[in-house]
Amino acid sequence: MKYILMMNGTKANFAEYAKWSKKDMEANVAFMRTFNKQLKDEGVFVATEGLGWPDQARLVRAGKDGTPITDGVFPESKEFLAGYWIVDVESPEQAYKIAARASAAPGPGGAPGNVPIEVRQVLGSHSDLGL
Amino acid sequence: MKYILLMSGTKAGVDTYVAWSKKDIDAHMAVLKSINKELTESGEFLGTEGLARPDQAIVVRGQKAGLPITDGIFPEAKKFLLGYWIVDVKTPERAYEIASRISVAPGPGGVPTNMPIEVRQILSLSAKS
Repeated sequence: MKYILMMNGTKANFAEYAKWSKKDMEANVAFMRTFNKQLKDEGVFVATEGLGWPDQARLVRAGKDGTPITDGVFPESKEFLAGYWIVDVESPEQAYKIAARASAAPGPGGAPGNVPIEVRQVLGSHSDLGL
Repeated sequence: MKYILLMSGTKAGVDTYVAWSKKDIDAHMAVLKSINKELTESGEFLGTEGLARPDQAIVVRGQKAGLPITDGIFPEAKKFLLGYWIVDVKTPERAYEIASRISVAPGPGGVPTNMPIEVRQILSLSAKS
């Protein structure tokens, strides 16, 4: 079963993160690298990506003639996807355990960030779904 | 440049979609499938995934006695990621163009949904190393 573990944050959360000391950021990134390596060693790793900052996010709809209408204005409360992992596991509980490890990544001063990680099953692409 | 196109919706929005007729859903999926096919042929397609319904979403935060602390309660207004596409394109404008085509996939009665698609660049900082 494939699960996606999503890390979300508001613009305010991102702004706080940007103020972390270099040392704190390096510790966090080192943790993430080790974490990803562990997932590979455990045979559950499928993919991980980090996304560009929210201030570069655009919402796209189509105009009347089919040309894209882009908009960069979002409500302050909007949660932006910061990044995700996809893991292939035997049970949802195993996915939750992995999410808890990601949640414990160190924050300022090395204390666990305990950031919320949203966990959802991945159903596969439309063709996988037979649609 | 890699871009991710994110389709999101509230629980109420997903409930509306589930109530579509089979014909409307088939027509919608046919368009998405043809977009995937075209992107594959143009070499821009990297991946697409659909996620399980929001009522199965769980939030995990830290742990207690070695066990994850889980919670399935979200604000009504929360937008859940429903699915995404990852494309490899030359310009952001091309990513917007693809997003707008997904946005006009037909909804009930064949009318374009005009669902907003969020477009974000993917940073190559990811742990491929």
